[in-house]
Amino acid sequence: MKSIGVVRFPGTNCDRDVLEMAEAKGFRAQYLWHLDQFDTGAFEALILPGGFSYGDYLRAGALSAKSPVMKSVREFAEKGGPVLGICNGFQVLVESGLLPGALVQNTSRRFIDDWAELELVNSHPYFGKSGVSKKIRLPIAHGEGRFYASERDLDAIESNGQVWLRYQSTPNGSMRGIAGVMNQKKNVAGLMPHPERALYSWMGGTDGWGFL
Amino acid sequence: MSQDADLKAKFKTYRINESEYKHITSLLGRPPQGVEWALFSALWSEHCSYKSSRVHLKKFGKTITDKVVTAQGENAGVLDLGFDEKVVFKMESHNHPSFIEPYQGAATGVGGILRDIFTMGARPVVLADYLCFGEPTAKRMPTLIDGVVRGISGYGNCVGVPTLTGQTNFDAAYNNNILVNAMAVGLLLPGEELALSKAKGAGNLVVYVGAKTGRDGVHGAAMASESFDENSDAKKPNVQIGDPYFEKLLIESCLSVIQKKLVVAIQDMGAAGLTSSSFEMASKGQVGMKLDLSKVPLRDAQMGPEEILLSESQERMLLVCEPGKLADIQKEFDIWGLDASVVGEITSGRKVSLWWRGECLTEIDPDLLVENAPMYERPYSAWAPKHQKASLPAMSTDAKTWDLKGQLGTSEHCDRTWIYRQYDQRVQARTVRGADHDVAFHRLPSGRGLAVTVGCRPAWMKRDARIGAFDAVLYPSLQMAIKGAEVQGLTDCLNFGNPERPEIMSEFVASVEAIADVSIALGAPVISGNVSFYNETLGQNIISTPAVGAVGLRGDVEDIPHDRFQEQGSTALLVSLAQVRTRAGLTDFTGELDGVGVAAKIKGLSELVQSFKASEILSTQMSGRGGLLLSVAKMSMDGVGLAIEAGFTLEDLSDEVLYQMVFEVSPAAEAKVQAGLKKLGFDVQKLGVTQGQRISWKNHGWSIDEMKTSAREGFGGLLDGIS
Amino acid sequence: MKQKFGVKIMPREVILDTQGRAVEQTLRLNKLAAESVRVGRFVELEVAGTEAEARKKAEEIAKFVLHNPLIETFEIQKL
Repeated sequence: MKSIGVVRFPGTNCDRDVLEMAEAKGFRAQYLWHLDQFDTGAFEALILPGGFSYGDYLRAGALSAKSPVMKSVREFAEKGGPVLGICNGFQVLVESGLLPGALVQNTSRRFIDDWAELELVNSHPYFGKSGVSKKIRLPIAHGEGRFYASERDLDAIESNGQVWLRYQSTPNGSMRGIAGVMNQKKNVAGLMPHPERALYSWMGGTDGWGFL
Repeated sequence: MSQDADLKAKFKTYRINESEYKHITSLLGRPPQGVEWALFSALWSEHCSYKSSRVHLKKFGKTITDKVVTAQGENAGVLDLGFDEKVVFKMESHNHPSFIEPYQGAATGVGGILRDIFTMGARPVVLADYLCFGEPTAKRMPTLIDGVVRGISGYGNCVGVPTLTGQTNFDAAYNNNILVNAMAVGLLLPGEELALSKAKGAGNLVVYVGAKTGRDGVHGAAMASESFDENSDAKKPNVQIGDPYFEKLLIESCLSVIQKKLVVAIQDMGAAGLTSSSFEMASKGQVGMKLDLSKVPLRDAQMGPEEILLSESQERMLLVCEPGKLADIQKEFDIWGLDASVVGEITSGRKVSLWWRGECLTEIDPDLLVENAPMYERPYSAWAPKHQKASLPAMSTDAKTWDLKGQLGTSEHCDRTWIYRQYDQRVQARTVRGADHDVAFHRLPSGRGLAVTVGCRPAWMKRDARIGAFDAVLYPSLQMAIKGAEVQGLTDCLNFGNPERPEIMSEFVASVEAIADVSIALGAPVISGNVSFYNETLGQNIISTPAVGAVGLRGDVEDIPHDRFQEQGSTALLVSLAQVRTRAGLTDFTGELDGVGVAAKIKGLSELVQSFKASEILSTQMSGRGGLLLSVAKMSMDGVGLAIEAGFTLEDLSDEVLYQMVFEVSPAAEAKVQAGLKKLGFDVQKLGVTQGQRISWKNHGWSIDEMKTSAREGFGGLLDGIS
Repeated sequence: MKQKFGVKIMPREVILDTQGRAVEQTLRLNKLAAESVRVGRFVELEVAGTEAEARKKAEEIAKFVLHNPLIETFEIQKL
């Protein structure tokens, strides 16, 4: 059985949460360290969890995007393997160029912790195959989650069906309310909300359960 | 300079007074020399030695029960929760640094309290804060509020520990001296190792890990007395800079070496840095230590031994290990990109010797510095209530009473979401209830709920320090009880003014006694704490503020009553143990608080609430500041209001009563809940029936939507000019 | 008349530069080790007046809000 690889950078802080989610869903899961390249054949999917990798210094995700592990992540993605970035993981994927656009500071210039109402615009073929409803509610927690791209790129992202999730009411100023996007091939995806924080009713919601 | 003038200058620089100097001279058998001045200055400071409070803090020793694994004396207290789960927690102040540089002051406050937790091998899981600001219109206040909140947010979010609860007060008494207290809670799960700071084993190595030593905080003493805006660069205080990213690396690496049983002892370098950590470790272990200061990793190569000893650079730890384990330890830290350097060894004698470039600077018995620190019994008088009256003045029906919308928009009552929205409340994926609730709940691996909340209401401290201190424990304990959680243990952060003033010392002693007494009655020991004296600026002292952090336990996390009314048509009950009564804006009060008597009923109350489903006891809330009507308004913020029975008087709705609680119960469970509460000795009255969108009483009515907007927008309005 | 100035804001020498330390670490891991890295900010200002007047104004602006004297220093450059 292949595993789910959970990529850890120094400063990642949702690594355990994501690993536990994968295990709760019946997967074998293992950590991948930022300094190590790995055998891409051993993994079914990769997840880059949230946190403050490299302290988010310089720009969120910028320093992590240059770490050795990303070479293997890129190789895995190029072969069509499913890669998911959550929150800071999304920022890393954007900084690596594996996903379009940029994630900049929230318009309020403050960190925002809240629950966000979301619309599933296009389904992801892997992340969500066990069922994500059209309208969902997930926690968000970020300071730099405002999705930015040029109008032309935004049009292309929309027309290619790359918009994954959209905020019902945008908390951070994201352009066109984008909360999650996919690459053109749709194997790589990223979102700012945290599915791993909405698995059981005691967490306040269960809409994250279907993402894996 | 004459010898006498030289000595006077030293007294000033090192903040040692003449009698302390004489005491040092007699302990050493000679006057202190060289770096010894710095050592005594640091370890005999109020901050490290608790010289004005130690004699009174002994009372907390009586609160210790057999659930306590370790308490005062270690970095934080540890409590056994059963199921092989242990909780570690402590609260600490960072008031003065936060007033100087609010962002870094608050951030390093959070960093410091987290280190106290993971030093013990426990992973930090919850943060809480207790903040007191001046009037929002006071000079610098919006900047201070904004900076402190950003500092807590910046540090806690990055390090990956959710900030789940807190309290924010405003009073003119804090205009020139804000309070920033942070509490951290950690867990030791089944099979996990508890680490202590007691050094052991001659020949073992002393290892320095974490950030390099810089000049941070070295001239901290100058901060208090000089204004820094206009000073030359050289005279500016060296603000301590926190790096939560580095702290996160330190957490992971330290927990790893502790859990792999590679360390003998470990201690963080907090106040007075290397000096306090090394001397305290040696003194606790009754061993000697040879420390080579030239081996300490430096950020600035020009630093001398005294600066190295006094530096308060953040994110550093000192550990002791067997020589054979050093390579494994270095390997572990290397994974996280951190250095671990040997700076000394444990020796068989009982002396700590400090070396610098091959020369021995001093050799000294650590007990002289740690155990023989002065202990002052500062003058105070026994507590006597000053504002207790036979009755309260009659109420006039002024417009303010009815202006719920206006009151909910004030700094005292407005919604604190503006603050908590900036804190990550769900990282670690264990949060059941966050800061938008009265009591925070973290789900333990055993499936039980760990409850956390903080207490101390300055308005009550102003009226009566003894009642206020009882309340600082009772209020959070009752908040927990009405959510079905039983308080297990306490920590405190005693913020007071100048202890050399007898009236302040009297309040201090009364507070400590009150906290200890209720703690014993609750069976909830005070397992850790901190004292912050001299919260005095230009002769103005703060309100005595003994902040309390409470940790409780509930058997499950599924049936916790909500904070706000849930359904129309349920019954609201007013549950009372009315003993003391006052009114917003009044200093006077009537009655007497039997703190121990109230405490004795709390366990039963939490068990009763826990025996009901969330469909039976739907919501509960304490009737708090501003009285019953305002509390009902706060309970209505989810859109379900209340038709209040006409039998209640204006006074009933306006008075603040210790203690009253509102329970929303389903009609089916009403009789059973009532009977249970009465059996416990509570007075129960029907307050009303819940209804949609409105609160009503006699011919008065209030729209929930309007109140909600006012409460929501209140906080932003306080911070004009800050966006 | 408009003058253009740059304001270079750097962490004070004695103060720990957390960003610089993180960048330094990444460079080291990628074998691009620099002896030291310090990260600051650069602000461009356009100010009206003669050069002397404008420089004075720029200095005032830098002191007023652009830098925090407790932890940073600044330097004005004519652009």
